[in-house]
Amino acid sequence: MHRSGSRIAGSRLDRRSLLGGGAAAGAGLAAARYAPGLWTPGASAATNLSVLSPLAPDPAPPGVAEFAMDDFASWKTANDAEVTYEAVAWPELHDKMATNFASGTHVHDVYYMSGWVPEFAQFLTPLDDMLPQDLVDDLPPSSFSTVTWDGQRLGVVFTLSLLTLFYNMEHLEEAGLDGPPTTWDELKGYAQELTRDGRYGWVLNYGEPAGIGGTASYWMVFLQQAGGKLYGDDGMPVFNDAPGIEALQLMVDMYTNGSTDPGSISYIGINDATNILTAGNASMMMNWPFMWKPASDPATSKIVGKLGTAVLPAGSAGSASIDGTDAWTIAKTSVSPELAMKLIEFYLDPAVQTRQVLDTGWLPIRLSVLEDPEVQKGAPNAAVVLEQAQHPYDSFVTPDYNEVTQAIGTEIQRALQGEKTAEEALQDASDQVTEIVSQRLG
Amino acid sequence: MSVSANPLASRHREPLPRPSGGNLAQRRRRTGVFLVIPALVVMVAVILYPIARSIVLSFQEAKLSAGEIGTTWAGGENYRRISEDETFMLALRNSAFFTVSEVLLVLAIALGVALLLNTRAGRKPIYTTILLVPWVIAPVANAVLWKWILHANYGALNALLTALGITDRYVNWLGTPGLALRMLLLADVWKSVPFIALILLAGLQNIPAALYKAAKLDGANVWQRFRYVTLPGLRTPLALALVLQTIWSFKVFDLIFVLTKAGPADATLLLNFLAYRVSFNFLDFGYGAAIANIIFLIMFVLALVFIKLLKPGAPRSRANA
Repeated sequence: MHRSGSRIAGSRLDRRSLLGGGAAAGAGLAAARYAPGLWTPGASAATNLSVLSPLAPDPAPPGVAEFAMDDFASWKTANDAEVTYEAVAWPELHDKMATNFASGTHVHDVYYMSGWVPEFAQFLTPLDDMLPQDLVDDLPPSSFSTVTWDGQRLGVVFTLSLLTLFYNMEHLEEAGLDGPPTTWDELKGYAQELTRDGRYGWVLNYGEPAGIGGTASYWMVFLQQAGGKLYGDDGMPVFNDAPGIEALQLMVDMYTNGSTDPGSISYIGINDATNILTAGNASMMMNWPFMWKPASDPATSKIVGKLGTAVLPAGSAGSASIDGTDAWTIAKTSVSPELAMKLIEFYLDPAVQTRQVLDTGWLPIRLSVLEDPEVQKGAPNAAVVLEQAQHPYDSFVTPDYNEVTQAIGTEIQRALQGEKTAEEALQDASDQVTEIVSQRLG
Repeated sequence: MSVSANPLASRHREPLPRPSGGNLAQRRRRTGVFLVIPALVVMVAVILYPIARSIVLSFQEAKLSAGEIGTTWAGGENYRRISEDETFMLALRNSAFFTVSEVLLVLAIALGVALLLNTRAGRKPIYTTILLVPWVIAPVANAVLWKWILHANYGALNALLTALGITDRYVNWLGTPGLALRMLLLADVWKSVPFIALILLAGLQNIPAALYKAAKLDGANVWQRFRYVTLPGLRTPLALALVLQTIWSFKVFDLIFVLTKAGPADATLLLNFLAYRVSFNFLDFGYGAAIANIIFLIMFVLALVFIKLLKPGAPRSRANA
């Protein structure tokens, strides 16, 4: 009887044998993946921790960013633990964790947060009883304000991250300007004076309206410098007032007078704007502390040795900034919350925090490490950030922070584009935020 | 004549006993259905169930609470919100402009490309290979590519235009509201033309050459041959291309996500991105599902309308010949 199939080297190759071979291969792969003990008899399975983290150069832990790798390996051995990272680009973090939490199942044990703790509070494990007291004592008390909701500490900030002013010292010198601007008037004047020779005095990423590091959050910096705040004591918006309008008008004036890089409205991420400054195509911007590292690296910067940093210029109420609120949290669905807490303690270990600042540029949060002479020498911008921290730096985070900042940021973009005046934009923003907050407050 | 002597008698056979379960055709049909059931189960699970679930979700208020998506019946409240939502109307206008413009541009350019490829010189494989390059690039990779082409400071487009003396200053392609949407349109047209061109090329190659010869003999000029031979012959592939491109244009997402995040000031906000933003940025799943269902309904109705108007594959009557 003829059977279909070809003969190759004496063996029968037909559909049945191909199907059987494929099934056997699949079963073998599945066994290797899900039953490693079958292949390594006698080996005990280490506890696996899963961590959701941003990709470097955003603040990332050892294993995602290259620092303290030996210490990390030692920690894993000592705790019989394996750590699996899922590192994603910063803009994708919020949506990824939203779908993870919505699934109701365990996906990650440790989550990176940036302003989202109130939004995801119900999915996070309170850390009040888990944080060692000696660690708490070594952290700035104010660092817990953005990770505390409904009286519970739900995370721990791991980097002192406030926006400060960064500027090209050589450009200022060429323009005959003595030192960085210290007031709004100086900021506007300097930006105009520094716009020359194909470069701009000011650059920022106004392309993403929402979130910390978005257009709305930059306006919040100027809002606080003008003496304003986002919400009143009743939780309703109060920003549609003189300080709010002044803050937005400053941004509009700097945009319309040509001193702001017009591409700023299309730069989505902070790295887009950072690259403009480090390429020497802009003179000033506000940025997070990490900027010191890439700006000092000849491989990524054309302004090595020319970067200066200072406290942000003062408005009528003084200087102010916002907090990046970069924190580690533990999910309620974590299978090993105690081990997850140990991992976070490792991330906050003084030796690891020291390597964090020296190797990645992200400042430590531990006060003892910030005061270390080696750290202050390796990160001269740390002293500026500490000085900035003496001024207000509220990020106004709430459970609907994304929606609120989307509304405000979009209206700010309309004002920058000249579609609306500052007053009109803030009025419309206030109306939208009132509706959003009313739905939350009920 | 005895039966045994009848030469036809040997052909007479007693009818074979009918096998249980019906005749061969019925058994084949049953076997076919049985073999298709697994695929049907998968289709119901992957396509029909999510659609039904989404429709139900659109009538609920669904938010993350107490560790899960909590739902309460909201009736038509989400759809009422849509009717009063200015952002939705803006996204709808943008989507309508984007879709109509892209469909017209893609069909026109793809038809031109297909006509060129259907010539003796155009049949060389190298031309088809070059044509396919935009189409084979992954959507996100395509978006990143265009991000660097359109960059306000470092973009290749600005460099080219200034080098050619067409402009004397760099243009902020993605920072100007009206211009940003048109540049996204350009990027998506570039990617969409190849596949549609191939569909139309296949249709052109199916038109019998004899029809062109006959038309030529009757004195038809180039335009008349195109209008009375080519276009009618392309009715089915054109209908297919129209439906596919309309759906694809309406659901563009990757370009918005990578290039503009719907900015500046929602100038490039399209319905698909709005549904995503509402669902995953604002965690308002019910409202997001309502927007997504509106998109589904629009595309479904459009597809039905196109197919009814164009009647692909239907024989034409003598009166219309």
